[in-house]
Amino acid sequence: MKNGLVFFFGLFAALLLSWAGIVFGSHRQLGHLAPLFDENENKAFPERLPGVAAQGQLVYDDLGCAVCHTQQVRRPDFGSDKARGWGDRQSVARDYIYETRVQLGDSRLGPDLANVGARKPAYDADDLAKLLYAGSGAMPAYKFLFERHSIAGRQPSDYALNLHGTLAPPAGEEIVPTPRAHALVAYLLSLNHPYEYPEARPVEPAAEKKEGEKK
Amino acid sequence: MSTAPQAEVSEIDASARWPLSLLLASALLWLLVSGALALANLAQTLSPGLLAECAALSYGRMHALQESALVYGWIANAGFAVALWILGRLGGSPLRSLNWVVVGTLFWNFAVTLGLIGIMFGQGTSIPFLHLPRYVQPLLLVAFAAIATPGVLAWIGRSRPTTFAAQWYAVAALFLFPWLFSAAQVMLLWAPVRGVLQAVAAGWFAQGAWTLWIAPLSLAAAYYLVPKITGRVIPSYDFSALSFWTLLVVGGWTGGRHLVGGPVPVWVPSMAIVSCVLLTFHYIVTALNLRGAFGQCSTALKFVAFGLAAYVIGGFTDAITATRSIAQVTQFTWFSQAQTQLALTGAFSMIVFGAIYFLVPRLANRPWPSTPLIRAHYAAAVLGTLGLVLSLAVAGIVEGRELGDAAIPFADIAAHTRVWLEIAAASQALLLVGNAVLAFHFARLLAARPVVTATSLFRPPPTMEASVS
Repeated sequence: MKNGLVFFFGLFAALLLSWAGIVFGSHRQLGHLAPLFDENENKAFPERLPGVAAQGQLVYDDLGCAVCHTQQVRRPDFGSDKARGWGDRQSVARDYIYETRVQLGDSRLGPDLANVGARKPAYDADDLAKLLYAGSGAMPAYKFLFERHSIAGRQPSDYALNLHGTLAPPAGEEIVPTPRAHALVAYLLSLNHPYEYPEARPVEPAAEKKEGEKK
Repeated sequence: MSTAPQAEVSEIDASARWPLSLLLASALLWLLVSGALALANLAQTLSPGLLAECAALSYGRMHALQESALVYGWIANAGFAVALWILGRLGGSPLRSLNWVVVGTLFWNFAVTLGLIGIMFGQGTSIPFLHLPRYVQPLLLVAFAAIATPGVLAWIGRSRPTTFAAQWYAVAALFLFPWLFSAAQVMLLWAPVRGVLQAVAAGWFAQGAWTLWIAPLSLAAAYYLVPKITGRVIPSYDFSALSFWTLLVVGGWTGGRHLVGGPVPVWVPSMAIVSCVLLTFHYIVTALNLRGAFGQCSTALKFVAFGLAAYVIGGFTDAITATRSIAQVTQFTWFSQAQTQLALTGAFSMIVFGAIYFLVPRLANRPWPSTPLIRAHYAAAVLGTLGLVLSLAVAGIVEGRELGDAAIPFADIAAHTRVWLEIAAASQALLLVGNAVLAFHFARLLAARPVVTATSLFRPPPTMEASVS
């Protein structure tokens, strides 16, 4: 390695090659992925996030929810994702084209959230707000996303949490979600990959075999 | 051959004393900060109520804080110090423009501090290994340029035309980091790519940060120290160039390692699996080249030997867990945390501790005040690293197997991994104590007055590292 110029060129080429291969290569493949227009439903999928949910995504980012929660469902025969009710089909690249910051996540200390808005039995906004306020099991309580008000001399808030037992606030007070909590809940409820894209249909090896037999 | 008179070794170190001590002191400070944060974060896993009321230190943010303090605080500062010192030593003349290092270090650490405060206030990016807020990242790049200047000058102005493996790795780390870092910033923060391409780009950056920056920094230290201390030529040295290029060319392609089964083109993880397996060639050659580190009585080499073992074992573990059938279990679990810890705490930190024990007395021109303190640090570091990595790995396997069974709820998984996470937290505490011993020892050494002359401290190295053209 006497020739410094060749050495530097080699170093640069090593980095450039991997960038061109992995990042630019997948960009060539997926960078222009368009939403799919369904003529039966007369709308395009995926749908954009409503404004308040887009704000909620920022809350999801800044609290670091992705440290414990993934947002990717693996195909039905790979892991227990389908059996745990996280989604009927695998997540595909098209599901994420409108997300400003994709949070696939790399750890599952908690459940996957890719379809949390479509859980059965369904969560409503109040359930999720209570979950955030009280925590559950290994999940910490995010009490700083909520405010405690006195209700003396004014009408109770429509959004006040309906809490019981030890969590209930003292008489004459109520627990109300802050705008950040509202946005986060709206975001979580919007997480849903309902539409079955052609590329998301699992390949069925059994069906292929039958065709082979006919031939 | 060059006939220019070579600078005396002590002369090379004398000028670098304060700038490199500043880098090392800030590195050790960040090591303690990140250790304390990591311990707090593990404690939060065990009792979710801990600090949950405090928005700035809630679980997700604490995780980002400890990772950033480790990577941009400890690894960056310590790695730069060791790389600069090696380039100066092997360049054969005192490092030039060291004022730039001082300015760069101050700005770098200012930017990291600012970044951590930003994360506490919710401005982090939530991208692994790139958590620091967007606004401090250009500042980091500028500060890096200042820190790297003497390294580049030492490489260009080296007195020998031939170069050593230690120099290749040090130059590669210094040269590739700004490209990698700025490309990741542009693709993820300034002009984000679309959809899942962000995950691909983030994976490319995270793996690149390891294979093109952190691993070369550790290997630069190992390739310098092992022949230097043992006084023996590196065996099978001819292969080291091939091994170097394998790491650099193949390393960047391992970016899709964590995306197995994810919503990305299937060839991305497939390339990562192939690359991880190809990289085992690099790990085998590294083990062959540096096998002289094992079984030596030098304290510095004991650290390096442990680090090398962790490096090679980590490489093989990466190759094994990248395969789809195993990733199905270990993906998304504590096992990947164990792998990160094996690489960063096991390989990088241990090798760099060895380098610190070797270079600081030469920089400061006085010996370490106390051997028992070094032994205590060694014992704490070895036990802590082993305990942390093994317990996280077992927790990961338990978690992975139970995640695969849809009938087991998350509460049960948490209960079954709890004992292993408790061991991990205890190991993390032990590591923190060991590192506090090192920081205290370092401060004592710098504060002590020189009592002996430099020449009587060390035996002259019998031979220099073997050279290759």
